[in-house]
Amino acid sequence: MKFFCKTILKYYLKYVTKIVLAIHRPTVVAISGSSNKTFIRDEIRKILEIQGKTVRANPKNFNTEIGLPLAILNIPSGYNSYRAWLPIIGKAFWAIFQKNFPEFLVLELGVSQKGDMRYLLSIIKPKISIICEINQRYIESFSGMDNLFLEYQYLARQTLQSGALILNYDNARVRNLSKKSRAQVEYFGKTKKTGIFQIEKIEKQENGQKFWLRHENEIQEFFTPRFGEHNIYAVTAGKVFEYILNFTKYEIS
Amino acid sequence: MFERTKDLRLSVIKQMELRASKFPDVISLAQGVPSFDTPSGIKRRIELALQKGVVSKYSLSPGLLELRELIEVKLAEDNMFYDFEKEIIVTAGSIEGITATLFAITNSGDEIIIPEPTYTSYREVITLCGCVPIFVGLNEEKGWSFELEKFEKAITPKTKAIFYCNPNNPTGTIYSREQLLGLAELAKKHNLFLISDEVYKDFTFARKEKIFSLAEIPELRKRVIRLFSFSKSYAMTGYRVGYLHCDESVTQEILKVHDSLVTCAPVISQYGAMGALEMAQKDVIFFNDEYLKRRDLICARLDKLKNIFSYVRPESAYYVFPKIIKKDFDFSSIEAPESFSFKFAFWLLEKAQVAVVPGVAFGPSGEDHIRLSFGRTEADINRAFDRMEKIFK
Repeated sequence: MKFFCKTILKYYLKYVTKIVLAIHRPTVVAISGSSNKTFIRDEIRKILEIQGKTVRANPKNFNTEIGLPLAILNIPSGYNSYRAWLPIIGKAFWAIFQKNFPEFLVLELGVSQKGDMRYLLSIIKPKISIICEINQRYIESFSGMDNLFLEYQYLARQTLQSGALILNYDNARVRNLSKKSRAQVEYFGKTKKTGIFQIEKIEKQENGQKFWLRHENEIQEFFTPRFGEHNIYAVTAGKVFEYILNFTKYEIS
Repeated sequence: MFERTKDLRLSVIKQMELRASKFPDVISLAQGVPSFDTPSGIKRRIELALQKGVVSKYSLSPGLLELRELIEVKLAEDNMFYDFEKEIIVTAGSIEGITATLFAITNSGDEIIIPEPTYTSYREVITLCGCVPIFVGLNEEKGWSFELEKFEKAITPKTKAIFYCNPNNPTGTIYSREQLLGLAELAKKHNLFLISDEVYKDFTFARKEKIFSLAEIPELRKRVIRLFSFSKSYAMTGYRVGYLHCDESVTQEILKVHDSLVTCAPVISQYGAMGALEMAQKDVIFFNDEYLKRRDLICARLDKLKNIFSYVRPESAYYVFPKIIKKDFDFSSIEAPESFSFKFAFWLLEKAQVAVVPGVAFGPSGEDHIRLSFGRTEADINRAFDRMEKIFK
């Protein structure tokens, strides 16, 4: 019974979301990978908001087959309660007529089982995709890293040709995703390599981290009040995103 | 034999619970356990983890990466910036975190200053670590607040840390920003650690603003070790899961002890903690509202017993710590330790079958007080007070 209800709900939300996306045509930024999604998502959202764009990002764990549509439609989850789901189903329908839909959707895509990415990308078509890490996390439901890799490969392939793929050059599997993409590819990481956004040096301070970013022979200094290398990577992914927004022929609105 | 444990004692709260269990119709306002069940979203998260078969193996010693990532995000919302990979450790409840912390930062014979009355188990853990607890009394007249001069007087060359609970158990006091900053100045001056146990931080009845933590101040990140437990905020006392955070130079040392003590926090509970952070914020608000109602109820009932008790209205947690102002009770039939609050608690249990915790268990300043928990339902609170009113008539 539960499975039956969940399946109906899943497809109902999917098609309502597709209608909403077809009407409003927002620019979709997809963020995926085994880790660091949340920090990159927050960074991208912050950048867009600073630029005066209207943005909607998925909250916390709303990054799966049910959560993603709810995040796009901006409605809450009923979690485990049949009763709580009833008004939400109604709200989902009325979301078709919502005004002031944001220009950008910044969406984390969660992959924990084979086929998850294919399903999520049957709902959205990302213009820009960012992948930071592919590692053993969430490997339980896959028969090996190669199968997990196929999920991210699908995202690389499905990112719009007119869009861009932002990849962490330091992770060999992530780096290799470029081979499957028809979109513009930009890299970031600590590896010394011409053309990439290279994190040259990190300095931990009492109140945060200072780091230097090299790109095309220019070095710039940045600061984040957060600690940990993952936050440096998140800020750097944001810098690449800013670069793409400024220098390519994007129609933002 | 038993050199290490000879000075330890079983928690008085547990002793009272044991004693109370012999009375079939007892109403217990003793143990600090929420009356609520764990929110359904948390249970669902655990069910899913069980179905996926991911709970049977150890996690990394500092905890599941996904959980620590969520904790970093949650901390950042509260203006605290810590690296989930190196600066956050998921612990088996906060008491394990406290034990690991004390073992890591102290040497045998060091002194730890604790403002009291405060949580009973601190003394035991400090003693277990071979250290000496130095009690500094809080000022009841000033709403159980700190008096910094007393702390400064208590500091000796052997002092290693000041260890406080904020909001405080059993008084329900929230220490002000100014008081905490004063404590931080002392810690800087005397090169001390500050251990901040913030397990009740989600319960704020005044609703003015969130509770300030010294862990928000970047300059103090190597000095402040902050602990949190999922037990109270998310009604998860049985799951034994919490976390601590500090600068990596300190947490990496604590991690060695944590690894020796428990290897890792129970993985099934770690999934529960993820459910809590992802889905249970609404439940926390609901619990807070309910505790506020219960706080008002228990205070109203205490007001009716003005000739027996005086009290400071709690601002947080789910305890009230009334002073017993009437002294002329007949305790002749009661066999209890030589302490008025102990005798009173035993007497109340026998006469009214209401279990409370004697105040002296929380430190010398707790004598003449009892701790009442309003974690119990409104019906239990009313029944307990109906009985008390009867015997005090």
